[in-house]
Amino acid sequence: MKEKIRIFLDTDLLEKYLLGTTTLEESHQVERYIAMYPEVRKTYEELQENLETFAKLHALKTPEGLKNRILERIRAQQTGRRRFQRFAIAATIAALLFAGSSYFFYNQSQNLQQENTIVNNKIKTLEADMRSQLEDVRNQFIVLNNPSTRKFMINGNKKARELKAVAYVNPVKKLSYINVRNLPNLPEDQCYQMWAEVNGEMVNLGVIKDIQDKDKLMALPYAEKAVSYITIEPKGGNNTPTVQNIVANINF
Amino acid sequence: MSTLLERHIVELLQEQNEKAISLLYEHYGDTLYGVAFKVVRNEELAQDVLQESFVKIWKKGNSYDSTKAKLFTWLFRITRNTAIDKLRSLSTKSDKEIQIDVSDVYNLGVESIRPEFMDIRQNLSKIEPKYQIVLDALFFQGMTQQEASDELEIPLGTIKSRLKIGLRELRKIYGSGVLLLPMIINIL
Repeated sequence: MKEKIRIFLDTDLLEKYLLGTTTLEESHQVERYIAMYPEVRKTYEELQENLETFAKLHALKTPEGLKNRILERIRAQQTGRRRFQRFAIAATIAALLFAGSSYFFYNQSQNLQQENTIVNNKIKTLEADMRSQLEDVRNQFIVLNNPSTRKFMINGNKKARELKAVAYVNPVKKLSYINVRNLPNLPEDQCYQMWAEVNGEMVNLGVIKDIQDKDKLMALPYAEKAVSYITIEPKGGNNTPTVQNIVANINF
Repeated sequence: MSTLLERHIVELLQEQNEKAISLLYEHYGDTLYGVAFKVVRNEELAQDVLQESFVKIWKKGNSYDSTKAKLFTWLFRITRNTAIDKLRSLSTKSDKEIQIDVSDVYNLGVESIRPEFMDIRQNLSKIEPKYQIVLDALFFQGMTQQEASDELEIPLGTIKSRLKIGLRELRKIYGSGVLLLPMIINIL
């Protein structure tokens, strides 16, 4: 180890480092040696002391006014730097504001785009709905206005005297509709269900949902001498009609 | 190893307090001017060098690391390098070449004519020229001992022993305690 230190000290690297003429790599090496070996550190410190002493030997009286010239230059530097700092701060604030507002507007535009998509979709759905409903209404009108369409008034039997419905049947076009106008109130756990007898079989036409459907025509399967029924069934509907609960009989 | 004054100056320098430069100039100005003059060998140039060096010191204040070098070592490096750069830029700019020549090492006579250089002469005269030359080559010319041996045509062993004696003589003239005392008084 001693040998290693001696070789290092012989290379003059320490002296070059002292004067600041080493390369970056050499500086790292020297700093490592100084940190690791007290002997090297001591030599370096002595060299620094000697450098200062030797340099002081060559000290020269500085000319009058040089100090002020130097201080003036430094003040000029400082105001320049301050001006730059002020400019940098202003620029930073401006950049931050810009970034902030950009982010805000970007977000807003994203939101608007999303909303736009939603609104467009809604419009499309509405359009499709309207078209199909208009189509329905037109078809119904054509049927109802047809001279060969016959109209039947239907009344409920004794179980539901207030039940009133109108049925339209067109044997030429083989179409029939029913419009339930009024239904007596039922307990919560019961509902009206509609049935049709087609070729001897009972077909479920679904539950009649309250009076909301007041103006709605319901299509019925058409058959010669078809019979439709309205029954009272437990809430949610039934798979087969409860015959004793028939409240209306539609017989064309 | 740093004195109170050094620490105070470094703090001011890192706070970007202008007072740092004032204090540095008072305590190291003459020495650094001497360093600059030693390299450029012209008063006007030396003044330019000193100005530029102080601007660099001011700008680089944050990069000074007291664990790596004494304050003076750091100041010396900046001043010496600025002076050498000045010479290089001049020699490329103009035809009259100014070089740091080895012959300058022997050229101790020029400045001795002027009265303001007298006290240096007195101090320097306490060290024999043969030691001065070696110290000069090492500290100002930035030569390695081997380079000094080659340039001065003196065997390496002799360079080493002269350097050792020269340094010892130096310490005799300025004990480090004597040097630090006025600085300490100054802060108090």
